Amino acid sequence: MSYIDVLREAKDLVTPGMSACQGCGGELILRTVLKVAGENTIIGIPPGCMAGAGVVGWNYANGLQIPVHIPLLDNTASFLTGLSQMYQRKGRPDVNIIALAGDGATADCGFQSLSAAAERNEKMLYICYDNEGYMNTGYQRSSTTTKGSRTSTTPIGSVINGKQQQQKYLPLIISMHNVEYCATASPSHMADFVAKVQKGLAASKKGFAYLHVFSPCPTGWVYPPEQAIAMARKAVQSNLFPLWEMDGEGYHLNYENKNPMPMTEFVKGIGKFKNLTEEDIASIQTAAEQRYRLLERICG
Amino acid sequence: MGKIMVLTGNYTATEAAALCRPDLIAAYPITPQSSVVEGLAAKVHNGELDANMVQVESEHSAMSVVQGAAAGGGRVFTATSAQGLALMYEPYFRMSTLRMPMVMALATREMTSPETVWSGQQDAISVRDAGWIQVFCDSNQEIMDMIIQGYKLAEHPEVLIPVNVCYDGFYSSHLTEGVDVPEQKEVDEFLPAPSFSHCVLDPEKPFALDPLTPGPLLMKYRKNHLDAMEKALEVIEEIDREFGEKFGRSYGGAVSSYRAEDAEVVLVTIGGMTGTGMDAVDMAREKGIKAGLIKLRFIRPFPAKRIAKLLEGKKAFAVVDRSVCFGWSQGPMHMEVKAALADVDEKYAHFSAIGGLGGADISLRNLLETIELLEAVKDAPGEKATKWFMNE
Amino acid sequence: MTERNHITPIGDEGIYVLDTASWRVFRPVMDKEKCIECGMCLAYCPVNAVRGTEEKKYYITYDYCKGCGICAEECPKKAIDMVPEGGRE
Repeated sequence: MSYIDVLREAKDLVTPGMSACQGCGGELILRTVLKVAGENTIIGIPPGCMAGAGVVGWNYANGLQIPVHIPLLDNTASFLTGLSQMYQRKGRPDVNIIALAGDGATADCGFQSLSAAAERNEKMLYICYDNEGYMNTGYQRSSTTTKGSRTSTTPIGSVINGKQQQQKYLPLIISMHNVEYCATASPSHMADFVAKVQKGLAASKKGFAYLHVFSPCPTGWVYPPEQAIAMARKAVQSNLFPLWEMDGEGYHLNYENKNPMPMTEFVKGIGKFKNLTEEDIASIQTAAEQRYRLLERICG
Repeated sequence: MGKIMVLTGNYTATEAAALCRPDLIAAYPITPQSSVVEGLAAKVHNGELDANMVQVESEHSAMSVVQGAAAGGGRVFTATSAQGLALMYEPYFRMSTLRMPMVMALATREMTSPETVWSGQQDAISVRDAGWIQVFCDSNQEIMDMIIQGYKLAEHPEVLIPVNVCYDGFYSSHLTEGVDVPEQKEVDEFLPAPSFSHCVLDPEKPFALDPLTPGPLLMKYRKNHLDAMEKALEVIEEIDREFGEKFGRSYGGAVSSYRAEDAEVVLVTIGGMTGTGMDAVDMAREKGIKAGLIKLRFIRPFPAKRIAKLLEGKKAFAVVDRSVCFGWSQGPMHMEVKAALADVDEKYAHFSAIGGLGGADISLRNLLETIELLEAVKDAPGEKATKWFMNE
Repeated sequence: MTERNHITPIGDEGIYVLDTASWRVFRPVMDKEKCIECGMCLAYCPVNAVRGTEEKKYYITYDYCKGCGICAEECPKKAIDMVPEGGRE
């Protein structure tokens, strides 16, 4: 079954009208993940865009057709640990236990509990939709925000221009926790993304599976919504967001890219990068190149 | 019939929790609680206890993991102290407001700073408005019995509120006493397997757990929580009677008293100082002072009516706190006892006594002097200066 | 609505739905002649407004389409046009 067939024939388990922005990467990721996972699933969605957009419901009404809970911003992996262990204990290990958390709930505030659940190899699929900041509250900077980005807590000022630090590269850190499965994915590369959700779910029956998904955000980053998939594609093509996975057989690059698109092409047309200097762009380029070279060496 | 074992307070909590057949235990080490979970880990690793044991990286996660397991319908247990309780405050508040039943042992400890690891009740007292039921024990036997009763209370369909079983760090947690440990069969008869489903996530019956709730709706949940706390006051007495009939030990329910019936002056205690307080009452009686004692057991829900009744017609009382109320220059339990009484300054001579902070001792002399002071002021109603037990 | 007990907050009264179609400024219109049935529009539609039959005939539904324009942008044959709402089709 091709990934298009999977997506066409699956039931959409998300409310048909949710208040995510036009062209939201997070909404596409959520619907895609649940189409692949199906109804025998429990999901935890901590505070963030997807929770805020109403998927945990409002006024007694649900936002999903499966059980959903909004854990605390910082305890998603711990909450799901207890839930997953109870489902193993009740003799129902077939139930998919999934987290869908933003980069703030994953890389910043929730990092401690995530790291611990990964280290204990708890049986769940933890998906981070990384839109590089706290978008639900008006785009504050997170540790995965690209250097130079204009955010509401790293504004363009007369003295300091945007975020001063490079991104924290979380997926590689999680992969070092001896987890069952770890991968990056982008909605622009949909076949690869769907396959990784399937692999991640299978791995989550044996231990901890982690998927770090690039999630373009038209509202926060300031670009036209129809460009969302194009932005995600350019992030992969420029090697800012390389696609790789770690499974039982080791690390693999899923998209070998020896001649990446220059970073100047990626940042073009994105409002949050409007004030980047040539030096800033060169600095992002260097960080992306170093990261890609490291991955090439790890993936052999 | 059970067997008598010589146990520390912490190992008593271990034995009690194991007898309640928890599905999952998650805890993080902290002085003076650590041996509770070490004991449970040993039981799980030796195959004596069929429970999932999750070695978490923090107390925040300990409470979060048990919360997840309760959302899976499980009976869960954890234990902590002081800084650990402070760290878990976020999921702690949520556990009660999601109305998930569980029992947590709290070996109470002073809050830093100054840097300390020793006894004090500031930790438990500071979270008394976080929606949990809180009971304070003064003997290891009481720890055993209240953990077993705690699950019965927490899981009661008209209560559904988690329970803190508090006991003084070191004084109770680390000192040994003879404890009557019931047989598994007896506990099973008293405490059937949990059957709650109001908060259980299941693909076969999908719902959103905790959707965004606007204020007017949220208020209904809060009121229901407060109503359940009121109901718990009745259920506490019922469970105490039922436990007494089955195991032969009864604690008087939410509050108990000693030689209070004909007393003129009353010492009000909480936790492990109570035994010393009873000795002080006996000594005062020998001196001809009509002294008595009220022991606060449950402080959430607060048994205001029973306390008012016990103090009816008395001349004077002092409440001894092992914690402080910043901003009131007195102890928090003194404030709460006062709040339970009408026209307190006209009817009673009364004062707050504060002692035992950071592991400091509350001596027999301290409590006897407190009774003697009550005797001296008993005919002059009104609030007197807070007495601090400043022992060198 | 059934009588609630207000113990644990749960949403079990059906699905919370927002009228997202009202957000739409441009409406995607598919030219079936140009469509090669690749399904990219369905794969990339964030709101699941693009559906397909078993025969792989793809079509756009408008009840919840927010008009983001991703389908038009990603269509390899440029078979989808974004047309102003209330204007010509």
